[in-house]
Amino acid sequence: MIEHIKIQELISADYDGQASAEERRMIEEHLQGCVDCRKYAEGLSKLSAALRVWPDEGLSPDLERKIRMSLPAAQTKEGSQMKTQSRFITVGGGGLIVAFLVLVVSMQVYTQRGIQGRRKGAADNIGGQYPQAAMPEIKSKKQSAKAPQYEPYYRTTEYAASSVDRFQGQELLRMAYDKGDRFSPVSTKMTSFAMSETNVLPGGTTLAERSGLWNESLHNNLSFNTEQYNRIYENEFMEAAQNPLSTFSIDVDTASYSNVRRFLNNNQMPPRDAVRIEEMINYFSYDYPKPAGDHPFSITTKAAVCPWEPKHQLVLVGLQGKTLETQNIPPSNLVFLVDVSGSMDQPNKLPLLKSSFRLLVNQLRDEERAAIVVYAGNAGLVLESTLGSDKQKILEAVDNLQAGGSTAGGAGIQLAYKIAKENFIKGGNNRVVLATDGDFNVGVSSDGELTRIIEEKRKDGIFLTVLGFGTGNYKDSKMEQLADKGNGNYYYIDTLKEGKKVLVSELGSTLFTIAKDVKIQIEFNPSQVKAYRLVGYENRILAKEDFNDDTKDAGELGAGHTVTAMYEIVPVDSTETNVSVDKLAYQKTEVLPSDDLMTVKLRYKDPDGDTSKLIQQTVKAEDVSAEPAGDFQFASVVAEFGLILRDSKFKGNASYEHVLKGAGVSKGKDPYGYRAEFIELVGKAQALDTRTGSGTQGINFKGE
Amino acid sequence: MERPDEEVLKDYLGGNDEKAADMIFLRYKTRLLNFCLRMLGNRADAEDVTAEVFLALFARRYAFNPAAKFSTWLYTVARNQCISQIRKRKNVVSVWFSSKGGGDYEQMEAEDPRDTAGRELEKKEAATLVRAALAQLPYEQREVIVLREYHQFSYEEISQVVSCSLENVKILIFRGRERLRMALSSLIKEDQR
Repeated sequence: MIEHIKIQELISADYDGQASAEERRMIEEHLQGCVDCRKYAEGLSKLSAALRVWPDEGLSPDLERKIRMSLPAAQTKEGSQMKTQSRFITVGGGGLIVAFLVLVVSMQVYTQRGIQGRRKGAADNIGGQYPQAAMPEIKSKKQSAKAPQYEPYYRTTEYAASSVDRFQGQELLRMAYDKGDRFSPVSTKMTSFAMSETNVLPGGTTLAERSGLWNESLHNNLSFNTEQYNRIYENEFMEAAQNPLSTFSIDVDTASYSNVRRFLNNNQMPPRDAVRIEEMINYFSYDYPKPAGDHPFSITTKAAVCPWEPKHQLVLVGLQGKTLETQNIPPSNLVFLVDVSGSMDQPNKLPLLKSSFRLLVNQLRDEERAAIVVYAGNAGLVLESTLGSDKQKILEAVDNLQAGGSTAGGAGIQLAYKIAKENFIKGGNNRVVLATDGDFNVGVSSDGELTRIIEEKRKDGIFLTVLGFGTGNYKDSKMEQLADKGNGNYYYIDTLKEGKKVLVSELGSTLFTIAKDVKIQIEFNPSQVKAYRLVGYENRILAKEDFNDDTKDAGELGAGHTVTAMYEIVPVDSTETNVSVDKLAYQKTEVLPSDDLMTVKLRYKDPDGDTSKLIQQTVKAEDVSAEPAGDFQFASVVAEFGLILRDSKFKGNASYEHVLKGAGVSKGKDPYGYRAEFIELVGKAQALDTRTGSGTQGINFKGE
Repeated sequence: MERPDEEVLKDYLGGNDEKAADMIFLRYKTRLLNFCLRMLGNRADAEDVTAEVFLALFARRYAFNPAAKFSTWLYTVARNQCISQIRKRKNVVSVWFSSKGGGDYEQMEAEDPRDTAGRELEKKEAATLVRAALAQLPYEQREVIVLREYHQFSYEEISQVVSCSLENVKILIFRGRERLRMALSSLIKEDQR
């Protein structure tokens, strides 16, 4: 018996890699004949796994801000000691109260959404995190009795402060947390409840412990992670001799960038599969020449040495859609399809959505139309199609949106398309704007069936814009697919600023399609190019036959929009060897001598057209410049950042330093501050990234 | 490779780098908070201690030995704070560990695992169970287990943080695991399905 214990002690140490060779031999010898100890050994990894059911939690934003405020950078070095001390007390106290307030909100979510919804979400989860279903137990005891009496804070109208666009959504969220008491009687009650409880709790319980409990379940709630992303398999290098053609559909979505931003602003590294490099590149607009001639867009090609792999070259293909004068923009017929299921009942979802919509409604011209369809449990028409001249009515309907129930996305989509069709404006911008966290769970909810409905509807000339909201339960995979199939765009709205960018600044561009089914096919010249790799666009790759096949759906280009794609190219004189296929026995392919690097071919249809038009352009080998400059450089550093975040095997020498340096140089005028924000995000990622070997390859911080 | 903590800290101490403090904070805030959470078992205390450690660090209230590894040193500070917190709270009720309410804090130290865990296995959800299981460990075992299982510290590092011998770390971890195994037997079995 004693021997077993001794051995198990060794096994435990060995499991942690701390046993000597001698000890390991002893263990092995013993395990040969001892089933119990073998079981013990196996049990250790199970124990570790079981322990991880308690996931890491995040610092509450309030506390974090307060600690940061006292960081040396924010104050003078001397004399801070006393101050810190006293500040510390507020830190603790403030945190507690906030904890309470926040909890009120989260409780509501819980009560309304119901635990089943949660569980289902968890079962769907392919992200690999343990479902965290521990809360109901604790909660039911302490909270459920009180929770339902209170209204969520944002149901009160005060929340609809119209100055919201002055601060970003992060702020919006914090405001929601911090100022909860101002907005609702609920929280005030809660606060006073909290205060009084300090006195009445039996057994000397302090408020601290109480709120520990409350806050705890809140954070469980937040760390409840059932976000879904489709796995991205990165494009590989293709040998130009074997596969001279590369075909893909354009993608003007930008959701991935704002989603990545949301993660980084939460001080988390984004999951690899949340990083779609093309959407990061296309988040920014670049200064390409305005289209001239018959085609609705211009094509720009540029080539330079690849910044993250000096042995390679980088080729950029940029499209610039024509811009429309505001008065020439055809009128819109919009149907907002709003997910008001219980899962939307969070400050960064429905309230943010309402604020964003309000901005959009205020932009509507008199002859334009808007309708609102909600779906949750049942799909319903909240606002029949109303002229833009009656803004008050539309705004009221937006304000009255409330969350509750489960999500029947399918029926909602059907109804929205029906209304869009009834109010169809010929030659106008007919569009369903779907706002959701993507968690459909009632009725038609299989991805396949939903996309089939949408594919069918797009034939009517109605486009789809998908706006993603929220965290924790976010179904990125589904939403991107919907937008893709519905001739649409997909955005992720993490902040009100982003809502403004998408719905107001780009209203003229993304909401009015100037070309649809835009496909790009590139033919590489094997006498100049050994191999190539399309950076990003993984889920937009088309077969080479699809290019000339007008029945094949592809991406849409909005007015004023820019789209950018990049290829990493291995020059023909490179000594690198790719895994190659044996030479064909019965065919001989002849390479025609040419100085061309490649030919870019582009097909598109007019918004109401059925047959595609073709544009061609060649890139010469001598066009390759030493280094990407200007917008090309900025696009390349965004791609480089994406490669680092994805921890791509193609990242080469990519480093945060290099990205920061390049972005700093190529920032340009940056009138809206998007590029400055990018630089900030890179800094954040750099500080957060603890993966070894990622990013900074032996180069010092700050670029020295 | 990213810049090692020690270097960042050197820059910070030398006053060369304004961002250094922020960087240290970003790197460690989640880790420290979770260390404290698992040590103390409640969020309020854990946040208090986390804040205190950072504030103390940035107010330079502790001398950092440049020869030591920064992470080990920082955890040592946090660990010591946690223990004084535990001592302070010794006579106070900890609510969220015990769904029975009004349970004595002592239970965190003393109660037999087979009682709390064993009986309530079926109705309790996994995470609560893990919390309870960790909570019932004596803190000497809890700290080594947390450092090992959640923070992947080596025995060597652990022995520095909790200042005891390697041999002792080994035994503490082994005993801690024994207790956890019993407390979490239902979870572990479930895993085998």
